[in-house]
Amino acid sequence: MIDDSGPIFLQIAALIENDIVSGALPEESQVPSTNEFAQYYRINPATAAKGVNTLVEEGILYKRRGIGMFVAAGARDKLLGRRREHFTAQFVEPLCLEAGKLGITRAELVAMLTAALDGQVPAEQDTSTQGKART
Amino acid sequence: MNEQTVVQVQGLGRKYKDVIALDDVSLEFRQDRIYGLLGRNGAGKTTLMSILTAQGFPSSGSVRVFGEDPYENEGVLRRICFIRESQKYPDDFTPAQAFRAAALFFAHWDQTFAERLAEDFQLPLKRRIKKLSRGQLSAVGIVIGLASRAELTFFDEPYLGLDAVARHLFYDHLVKDFAEHPRTIVLSSHLIDEVANLLEHIVVIDKGRIIMDDEAEEIRGSAVSVAGPADVVAAFIEGYPVLFEERLLNTVSVSIAGRLNPAQRREAAELGLVLGQVSLQQLVVHASLSAQGAENSLNDAAHIQRGADSKEVTR
Amino acid sequence: MNRVLAVSRMQLINKWTFLGIPAIILGGAFALCLAIFTIIPTEPKYGGGAPFAPLWYFFALGIQSLTLTFPFSLGMSVTRRAYFLGTYVTFSAVALGMAVIYAIGTQVELATQGWGMGGYFFRVPFLFDGPWWQSLAVSFIITLFFFTVGFWAATIYKRWGVTGTLVVSIGLALLVVGAIFLITWGGFWGDVLGFFVHISVLGLAGILLLLVAAMGAGAFLTIRRAVP
Repeated sequence: MIDDSGPIFLQIAALIENDIVSGALPEESQVPSTNEFAQYYRINPATAAKGVNTLVEEGILYKRRGIGMFVAAGARDKLLGRRREHFTAQFVEPLCLEAGKLGITRAELVAMLTAALDGQVPAEQDTSTQGKART
Repeated sequence: MNEQTVVQVQGLGRKYKDVIALDDVSLEFRQDRIYGLLGRNGAGKTTLMSILTAQGFPSSGSVRVFGEDPYENEGVLRRICFIRESQKYPDDFTPAQAFRAAALFFAHWDQTFAERLAEDFQLPLKRRIKKLSRGQLSAVGIVIGLASRAELTFFDEPYLGLDAVARHLFYDHLVKDFAEHPRTIVLSSHLIDEVANLLEHIVVIDKGRIIMDDEAEEIRGSAVSVAGPADVVAAFIEGYPVLFEERLLNTVSVSIAGRLNPAQRREAAELGLVLGQVSLQQLVVHASLSAQGAENSLNDAAHIQRGADSKEVTR
Repeated sequence: MNRVLAVSRMQLINKWTFLGIPAIILGGAFALCLAIFTIIPTEPKYGGGAPFAPLWYFFALGIQSLTLTFPFSLGMSVTRRAYFLGTYVTFSAVALGMAVIYAIGTQVELATQGWGMGGYFFRVPFLFDGPWWQSLAVSFIITLFFFTVGFWAATIYKRWGVTGTLVVSIGLALLVVGAIFLITWGGFWGDVLGFFVHISVLGLAGILLLLVAAMGAGAFLTIRRAVP
């Protein structure tokens, strides 16, 4: 939903991006029109258009004249790549910061990460290189 | 989108005996956008809209609507619709008859749409308007305002008496119809947070003067709130103008004017500070209060000066 | 011209206001008169004040046209000029309608010798004696006059409030009293009454028409600066 966390058009763009990443909006599928976004989220259509246009400029969406907006080929990969780039700043650094505040040592942190990964990612699908130590 | 100017106001003033209702107001409304005209009760919103629609008269300054002076200008007025809070209807008129009248005057009137809206608002079409509740009376105005599809539509606090459900029904219909039939809409309201997301551009009036005139997204992005331990926050926000401050024991949440770059945001995260956006309502309230404060300061200064002068005399 | 006629049509959206109620008043007065005529044996007998009954309603209608319909028209984005002209078109149409009814009624009464009992409602003596076109004109002008007085008085009230209305009323009263005083003091009554007899009904109607024009112009100039 739309809230006070930041500019609305960016929130719209983020919502669309999330749907693309999660697979709810597959590539080459049609994205709701700006009017539909505006009505659904009760925002100004120009703001919705700005959010959509932001993604068009980034190559995530493209316009088919007379029909509407579609998810570009390779959009998901592009988004995943971008999120990978920000992963460190968005998740890893805060994680380390918080661990530091709580006095968690490096060894403890690595152990925690390993255990969590074991729990989440079954052995066969663990595609990370340089195999992690499994206890 | 056509960026044509629809309304141009220069140095507009309106004075009644000793009350200044509008003071040197200049603004511009462009085509096919939703404008918010915000301000406290009595700030001058209705006066301004009355003058733009030639229902009221200016004392000074110039007004151009669709490029011309709207006074007694049929070519201009027929493209305008002004829904005001205290609209009078002919005695014994029913909403159905009011719609028939509207159909006579608004070239783009959509009767089907009007009937659908009336149904949505549960408006009894055959009951005398003078027997309607306050909310139903407002609904009549809203239906006419929306179904007129006038190129320039003014809504002056059109939701008085409507409960929250009906108000959001109005916002929904407004956004939907604006999207399907773009036109210029000016919405005045003191329920800022409710309408904030609908507005593209915001004008704030306080005591007859314009104290804010900017794109909604710009205003929203012009401030940031920083929360955390008081000393940490104080150090972080050094140099930035403070808009608000809320304090609980040692934790403060301070709203400052300014934009933070990614480096600053990272720094805030490292310091354990929580960043948030300042709501439009808070920003508008702050602007009004500081305008009041500036006036008070001037008055206080004058008062002190007079006191000092009189002391001089009596010495 | 389109907007002007639209205003006229708007005034008639509620059929009761300009058509229904006057019809009822007229019908009621007429029926009442006939009933009384059957009781009174003397002939000829006249309606007295009854035929004028609708006029007071038109006076009230003139007032109401301004106090309620004017703000509504402004709300419909109508120019003050279109509102004024359109409303007067409606006033005139109704006045004409009434005049025609009275004219026809008069002819019927003359033909039937007062409904067979020497009772005359539509044929008001002095005013409607004379050619049919004259009574038509007189009747039209009198009706329009009552509308106009109400309308004009309401514009004074709208523009200048209670104070203004009081000032105008007192001013007019003073004028009338002053005129009566002057005429009495100067002994002009004979001349004055002689003048009225000389100009006859048509002349009187002409004076009323001039007053209608004057008040109409005054009303228009006043509403040009009026707010809803």
